[in-house]
Amino acid sequence: MRVLLVEDYQPLARALAQGLREAGYAVDVTGDGRQGLALAHANGYDALVLDVMVPGVDGLAILRQVRAAGSSAGVVIITARDQVPDRIAGLDLGADDYLVKPFALDELLARLRAVIRRRYQSTTTVVALGDLVIDSAARVVRRAGKPVTLSAREFALLEYLALRRGQIVTRAEIWGHVYDFAAEPSSNVVDVYVGYLRRKLGDGEAGGHRLIRTHRGLGYSLEVEGTE
Amino acid sequence: MNSLRVRLTVSLMAVLILALGTLSIVVDQVVWHALVRQLDAQLADDASAVAGMAEDEGATVEFEYESLPDFERAQRPAYFQAWLDDGQVLARSPSLQGRDLPRPAPRGAAPAFSTLTLPDGRPGRAAGLRQPLRIEEDGPGTARPSGRYVTVAVAQGTENVRASLGAVRRWLALWVGITLVAAALAVVVSVSRGLRAARDVAARVGEIDAARPRPFLPAGRLPDELAPLVDKVNELLARIEESFARERRFTADVSHELRTPLAALRAMIEVALRRTRQPDEYATAIGEMGDVVGQMQTLCENLLALARLDAGAVPVRPEPVALRLLVDDCWRSFQGLADERGLRFANQLDPGDTVTTDRDHLRIIVSNLLSNAASYTAGGGWIVVRSGATSLLQVDDSGPGIPAEILPHVFDRFVRGDGARSAGVHCGIGLALVRALGESLRLAVSAENTREGGVSFQVRAADAVTGSAS
Repeated sequence: MRVLLVEDYQPLARALAQGLREAGYAVDVTGDGRQGLALAHANGYDALVLDVMVPGVDGLAILRQVRAAGSSAGVVIITARDQVPDRIAGLDLGADDYLVKPFALDELLARLRAVIRRRYQSTTTVVALGDLVIDSAARVVRRAGKPVTLSAREFALLEYLALRRGQIVTRAEIWGHVYDFAAEPSSNVVDVYVGYLRRKLGDGEAGGHRLIRTHRGLGYSLEVEGTE
Repeated sequence: MNSLRVRLTVSLMAVLILALGTLSIVVDQVVWHALVRQLDAQLADDASAVAGMAEDEGATVEFEYESLPDFERAQRPAYFQAWLDDGQVLARSPSLQGRDLPRPAPRGAAPAFSTLTLPDGRPGRAAGLRQPLRIEEDGPGTARPSGRYVTVAVAQGTENVRASLGAVRRWLALWVGITLVAAALAVVVSVSRGLRAARDVAARVGEIDAARPRPFLPAGRLPDELAPLVDKVNELLARIEESFARERRFTADVSHELRTPLAALRAMIEVALRRTRQPDEYATAIGEMGDVVGQMQTLCENLLALARLDAGAVPVRPEPVALRLLVDDCWRSFQGLADERGLRFANQLDPGDTVTTDRDHLRIIVSNLLSNAASYTAGGGWIVVRSGATSLLQVDDSGPGIPAEILPHVFDRFVRGDGARSAGVHCGIGLALVRALGESLRLAVSAENTREGGVSFQVRAADAVTGSAS
């Protein structure tokens, strides 16, 4: 999942970015509202984490313009202002959630999961596909009851495929949602990670279903045979 | 007694009693005299009538008494007595029963009046008349003065006069009494009504919560005398409200300023603890936390200094301060930040420049100005400290300049609102402290954008400033 973090207080921005990345998100960070707005328009983020008081264009203005442009990205506002009118203003403008500083990192992660789920019309953190179970809250994957250990990026890839299960997901979309600007763009990095993922899941091995299907020239899809 | 009601009532009663008393005495006297004059006129008529009963027959003087009931009745009779000039009693009224009235000695033809005690002991009034007798020589109608005189005294009790006067007095007393009672009631009622408004106002004032004084006192239906008081109280309430609002904003701002670094600390700690890390990762994280704690500490110290200045609890200890050395000393804290951001620094103050002022306060002023410059000057720019034509010292930088809408507010506490932050100027509390400290040292601190696009913060003696240049 790809997240934009707009926060001008550097120590907080650095810590949150690290926390989000370690939780498997692809994170872009900026401390400037104008740059944040440009990034939000340019990329299809799954979620935006916006500080209200940032220089250039404030967080609520970013939210307003992003919503006006038709974005359905989940938006979590973070602010030091805890007065009720501030909250109402944020929620009225289309924020999905509102966190008052200081907040627990776990809470931010939980709310991010919730707003992203909502974006993909999913109501539960646990996705079951045949014998594959993905618990995005606990960050645990099981295949046939046995836990599968995945790296953060592999998990992010699987989570994204699972949220869009049954659909063909292009390499560009995967790139856009799983990788941030810190990652080196490479033509086959997506294919490489899909390969890692298949191997760890034991996908396509004797007796098992092939969960991740390759659609030549289009991309990949995650589906259970016979159900789609 | 300091009661308005009692004082008003007492003074109004005193005036009323004096006025009504005087009026009553005047009325009493006028009525008494009128009644007595009336009685006298009647007595004079009676005396004349009695004198007319005497007839000079030439040899003797005859008195032909015609029966008059006033002089005969047993109860409260009138009296008369007539004398000849030689002292002989010519006649007595039957009521005298042989007793005498005092013989009057009127001068001339006019009757004389006197007050006396009647033979039966009653107080009375008497008229005395000396009248020439006439003689008829040639039959009726040819009377001429005979040369002899008759003196008549007529006396009558004054009880009717007294009764009339008593009635008048009773009416007067009743009228005065009713007037006094009515006036007292009117005063008490109207003063009470006026004071009830005052009591209502007092009760309303008593119920006002100083932190939330609205609604203010209602101005309607108040006596004119209380309206200015209510206006002034409302003005005071407005000032209190404003002051509380400022205080609340300030508290909200302080909490806001502390929440952000606190959020950073919390996030740093939680990220660091999420998994086992390499020692150098911990060291980096703890170092960053230390920086954040340092910023929070500075904010707290500035807040405390500002609060003490507000309370007037900070003593000023003047001593000679070498400016150039002080600036170098202060700059040391910001050297690292400036290096990181590629800022060049020059201290162009004369080594001989000294100023007599409080060293610690000036240090905080200079430190905050340098901190501001080091934080907001665009990377790769320069910062110069020098003395100017009118300034003691000024901190100039290469910009960017402060947006015009922010410039008047840079010394406010927590330049706030998204507008301020959006423009990239976030002053927090440092510059507010600079201005407050400057005031305590009689120094004026101002900020302006230079023609070259930079910012110049200037410190000068307060009396050298014309207008508010900030």
